[in-house]
Amino acid sequence: MAYYVNRNIKMTWWEKIYLPEIIKGMIITSRHFFSNLFGFIPFFLGTQKERKIMTVYYPEEQVQYPIAYRGRPVLAQNEDGHPACVACGLCEIACPAYCIHIEPGENSGKQNQYERWPDVFNIDYAICIFCGNCEEACPEEAIFMSDDCEISMLDRKKMLYTKEQLLTPVADLQKRIEFTRNMYAKWNY
Amino acid sequence: MWVDLAITLVKILFIIGVTVGFFAPILTWVERKQSAIMQDRIGANRADILGFTAIGLFHCIADALKMFTKEDFIPEGANKILHTLSPIIAVVPAILTFAVVPFGGQYTIFDNEVNLVISDLDVGLLFVFAIASLATYGYVIAGWSSNNNWSLLGSMRTASQMISYEVTMGLTIVGVLMVYGSMKLTTIGAIQEDFFKWGLFLQPLGFFMFLAASIAENKRIPFDNPEAESEIVAGYFTEYSGLKFGMFFMSEFIEMVTIGAIMTILFFGAWHIPFLTTTTLLGWFDFLGTTGSNILVMLIQVGVFFSKVVFFIWLQMTIRWTLPRFRYDQIMKLGWKILLPLSLVNILVTGIVILVLN
Ligand code: SF4
Ligand code: SF4
Repeated sequence: MAYYVNRNIKMTWWEKIYLPEIIKGMIITSRHFFSNLFGFIPFFLGTQKERKIMTVYYPEEQVQYPIAYRGRPVLAQNEDGHPACVACGLCEIACPAYCIHIEPGENSGKQNQYERWPDVFNIDYAICIFCGNCEEACPEEAIFMSDDCEISMLDRKKMLYTKEQLLTPVADLQKRIEFTRNMYAKWNY
Repeated sequence: MWVDLAITLVKILFIIGVTVGFFAPILTWVERKQSAIMQDRIGANRADILGFTAIGLFHCIADALKMFTKEDFIPEGANKILHTLSPIIAVVPAILTFAVVPFGGQYTIFDNEVNLVISDLDVGLLFVFAIASLATYGYVIAGWSSNNNWSLLGSMRTASQMISYEVTMGLTIVGVLMVYGSMKLTTIGAIQEDFFKWGLFLQPLGFFMFLAASIAENKRIPFDNPEAESEIVAGYFTEYSGLKFGMFFMSEFIEMVTIGAIMTILFFGAWHIPFLTTTTLLGWFDFLGTTGSNILVMLIQVGVFFSKVVFFIWLQMTIRWTLPRFRYDQIMKLGWKILLPLSLVNILVTGIVILVLN
């Protein structure tokens, strides 16, 4: 016995005869069909710059991701080439996937120099879940989510990025830094 | 004798070339491309030869290559013979129907009467339905032999659906027969030389019912319960791969062409252009001599016929990409409680109108 679900839908007789409503639907789809079909022609002839269809030919064409997009996390590199990170380990703790590995290095007390820095800073992108917790946890504005998501590799071992690979000049991250300052209200107190 | 044989051979080769060689592969591309364009996408366009993509047309070749090179898998516990046989049973009737489908009129070429139909049977219409329903065996055997619950469910659904809609289809045809008074497809086509004698005007209700029933016969959306992906994986061909799967796939596309051709002949004026009779056309090209003008008119009318077929294929694709799937009980309800009584009413009304007009 069929089990009927009462969805409380009252159809008018016009809808019940089914055919007109179907034809209405088909007019909508065929309108899209024809407008796209003939919308292509001026695009291919070059007389029209904008294509009606919004599909992006991915590897050839790329879109600018919104600034809130969380791609792979990268380390900020100061203008003098030194990492901004102080190897405090907060990101390591905040990371829910345990994919950050830090070995700190520190100077022996010289004045006016960097006190601490990471000797080893590895992020295993094969484990990273791109949650952004590391960015949120960092007190030094040293780790940021970039807009790069093209990190597929043929070998898992290659997905372990070292400090040299992770360092990104801070100038490239300016927008994201501003965004995080607004988002997390860092340095605004 | 030899000339007749040669002409028949050419016609057979032409039909097989057009259906299997042209329509079946092209339609896989059309299906993807049309659905893409209807949904504001671009569709398949990545297969390329030397960097040249030809708007995705090479996907047909890529598809065929894929089908040929895939592993041909027979599941454990399956009946090997029937499992291998059923795709053939499914695809052969689809091609066989074209034996009686006329794709043009009669022409005089080099003093030979050329009738553009492979075999001009007196019961052509019956032959079409008899052969087309044979394909059901292919689907049912496919589901039964592959030792899989989903397949069995799919094939049971196919069987019940086919039986239900075959009834409607047959009764719809009765209306057409009453109007034209012939079962010969060539005669039915020839009568529709007069624009106002098109089946669309004489049998408007029959047209829609036949369209619905034939889509149900072909098991395409909105009647695709036998292969409903979201319910029973892929229905009767769940356990098929490689070339055998390709054959099921091909039979579906060839059946689309068959439906288009039958609809064109029964309801859409066959190979005739509205308001332009064959005699008028022949008169226009009289300066080419008998043979020349006949060949030209033949080419035009075959072209017209196949453009109508293409229109119907487009229509079926539009329906397929517009409507959602019916529920199983809805299909049965539509078949037995709505279409069947309507087709009986159609016969009654047709009979009364014919009686009154005479
Ligand atoms: S994004 Fe999340 S998972 Fe990835 S490194 Fe940062 S905290 Fe760990
Ligand atoms: S990236 Fe930030 S949170 Fe992580 S160790 Fe360096 S300073 Fe600390």
